[in-house]
Amino acid sequence: MAKEIVAMLLAGGQGSRLYALTQKLAKPAVPFGGKYRMIDFPLSNCVNSGIDTVGILTQYQPLILNEYIGNGEPWNLDRKNGGVHVLPPYQSAKGSDWYKGTANAIYQNLSFIARYKPKYVIILSGDQICKQDYRDFLKFHKEKGAEFSVAVREVAWEDASRFGLMVTDDKDRITEFQEKPKQPKSNLASMGIYIFNWDILKKYLEEDEADSESENDFGNNIIPNLLQDGRAMYAYRFSGYWKDVGTIPALWEANMEVLSPEKSGINLFDENWQIHSRTNGRVVHRIGREAQVTDSMITNGCHIEGVVKHSLLSPGVQVEKGALVEDSVIMGDTVIKAGAVVRHSIVAENVTIEENAIVGEEASAADSDGKEKLIANIGPDVIVGKGARIGAKAMIEKSVKEGEMIC
Amino acid sequence: MLNSCADAIGILLPNSYDSMVPELVRERLMGAIPFAGSYRLVDFILSSMVNGDIENVSLVVKENYHSLMTHLGNGREWSPSGTGNINLIPPFANKDSIVYTGRVEAIYGIIPYLKDRREKYIVMSDVNLAVNFDFRDLLDKHIASGADVTAVYTQEAIPRDLAELPADTKNLYYTLDIKGNRVTKINVNSKKRGIQNLAMNIYAVDRERLIQQISEAHLQGSIYYERDILAKQMDELDVRGYCFEGYVARIGSLRSYFEENMKLLEAENEDALFGPNPVYTNSCDEDPTRYLSGASVKNVMAADGCRIDGEVENCILSCGVQIGKGARVKNCILMNDVVVEDGAVLEYVIADKKVIIHAGKELKGTDTFPVYVEKGRSV
Repeated sequence: MAKEIVAMLLAGGQGSRLYALTQKLAKPAVPFGGKYRMIDFPLSNCVNSGIDTVGILTQYQPLILNEYIGNGEPWNLDRKNGGVHVLPPYQSAKGSDWYKGTANAIYQNLSFIARYKPKYVIILSGDQICKQDYRDFLKFHKEKGAEFSVAVREVAWEDASRFGLMVTDDKDRITEFQEKPKQPKSNLASMGIYIFNWDILKKYLEEDEADSESENDFGNNIIPNLLQDGRAMYAYRFSGYWKDVGTIPALWEANMEVLSPEKSGINLFDENWQIHSRTNGRVVHRIGREAQVTDSMITNGCHIEGVVKHSLLSPGVQVEKGALVEDSVIMGDTVIKAGAVVRHSIVAENVTIEENAIVGEEASAADSDGKEKLIANIGPDVIVGKGARIGAKAMIEKSVKEGEMIC
Repeated sequence: MLNSCADAIGILLPNSYDSMVPELVRERLMGAIPFAGSYRLVDFILSSMVNGDIENVSLVVKENYHSLMTHLGNGREWSPSGTGNINLIPPFANKDSIVYTGRVEAIYGIIPYLKDRREKYIVMSDVNLAVNFDFRDLLDKHIASGADVTAVYTQEAIPRDLAELPADTKNLYYTLDIKGNRVTKINVNSKKRGIQNLAMNIYAVDRERLIQQISEAHLQGSIYYERDILAKQMDELDVRGYCFEGYVARIGSLRSYFEENMKLLEAENEDALFGPNPVYTNSCDEDPTRYLSGASVKNVMAADGCRIDGEVENCILSCGVQIGKGARVKNCILMNDVVVEDGAVLEYVIADKKVIIHAGKELKGTDTFPVYVEKGRSV
């Protein structure tokens, strides 16, 4: 059956700047905000915006992501008509290929989109923390009579040269695209969220594929081609909370912002725009007799006997007696043993921090000087041995022996 | 897994013993009573059946079943394989139909369905027990023994709730006399002291035999399966006992409801109840629980979606509970979406869903007599 709009969610990226966190899983599967994974945000936005057909393009380490999405039931996307579909690269009679770029990933799945005969296609990215009503964006696209629209947000002029910028006229029509320019002519940064008219998307992807010189990338190839042809291209300004969590400090900071929604503006506690997630296992958490928990978010299956301050704990985390967790993000099923101390850190899933080990350091004066924060980062399944010390900026991918020190 | 489905269907009676907890079932039935934070009583036996690969379960209800319907939804939370079938069977609305008191009447109402099934066995249970029960093992033993009926029991003294029932009660409980593993006698509402073989009202039976027994008993106007069928046919039937040694929480009064909840604050009890196999529920799709700077929390079990800025000790909190700054809440069970405003003080209180305790108010019960505040009330 025909759909007005189909969403294609780019979720194949590694997120290499998250280092140890993405060794075993794709960036959109990285846990966030206690019980969520990044991909919960675009998926929930789709459902809340009335988009019920979503293709998820996976490539890098898709196992955990695939398992997590499953039949799409937590997001109400297990539909007879439409619903969520995971689309990995595939083999065909002409041969097979990995997704070469963002545009190529969509190109290889044109037949998926065609099945729903949509008028519009929205391209989303699986790794942005953002609550956005795509209906407003689509309304803008229709009202402008656009063939292509891109969601943009205003950034500070001094930061503008770090982004892909849309230069527009007074009617929001895009006149020029600048990719990380030295001399920015605009402060409207692309969020990497696009709406295309389906016929335009199809035409430009097919042409792009035929061009052997192309990098098959939306930003570098498709958008310049559209501009060159004088297509009706508009920039849609979005002013809500948006965060690209591509680096360890950014991921840490976005998590901490969840703890103080009054200040940061990201309110996960909004009944009118719920972010859905898949939950498994026990649905309650326990706080013990000697525990202390303040300024924190704790979720199902956690068991706290120690001290937790200003931290987020994912499902099934255990903090034993005498242990301290402060200013940290602890992902699912990790165990912090008695007497261990974890500060200013991101600890991935299934990690064991053995007794009296020390991970990370207290916030130092350097943090308030606006320098990059030092966040210790422990990768998944790692065991940090008894009494080991992990320094403030360490990235740990392999288990650490008893008493070992790593700076 | 090959051949994962057990050769049995399940029958649950979610209204049994409703009249023992009148406060809690004013707007719901026994099976829908919130328990251990985010669960409902029905979750325990239902999950146990599903974990024993019994995925076709009929819940025969008689009244106040709307909240149970909402909780069960389409039943998929209790169908890990996706092929299960959880049926809620309300009373059939014709002039012959009756609202049942006992198992004979309840099961008589679904005989056409039972006749259509192909499974050889039926397991049945009430839902006033929070228990992680191994139905696979029960069925295996039942099949191996070749018994007509296998009755599950625990070895314990008669609990206070049952011992204190008046002589004319319609709430029956049973103790079993057992020789070897044969049940030789079923005693109804026995007041005998000391450790007894106390029936859990969980049975494994042959489907066709049950249909026959129930049809005959119904013709004779019988009501109770145990009293009117099993006890009377003790000589003709091969009834075996199956002793359950795991953790059991029996809900039979507001007081035992309070105590059994509180017991789960001990990690060993919680692990005993939730450890063996997963307990499924229709969990609240809420954000993680948020502890603010004023939070001081000791010995608490909490579901997601709470917001805590006060002092909380020895409490069980369901989804979406809010506790304001300076509030002190001790030894309480707060169900979904209860709001305790700033500075309010609660001790030994069971607050039903959506209760609001206004700022500065005090409400105190005692350990043997918790105060109950009914659903939606403002204090």
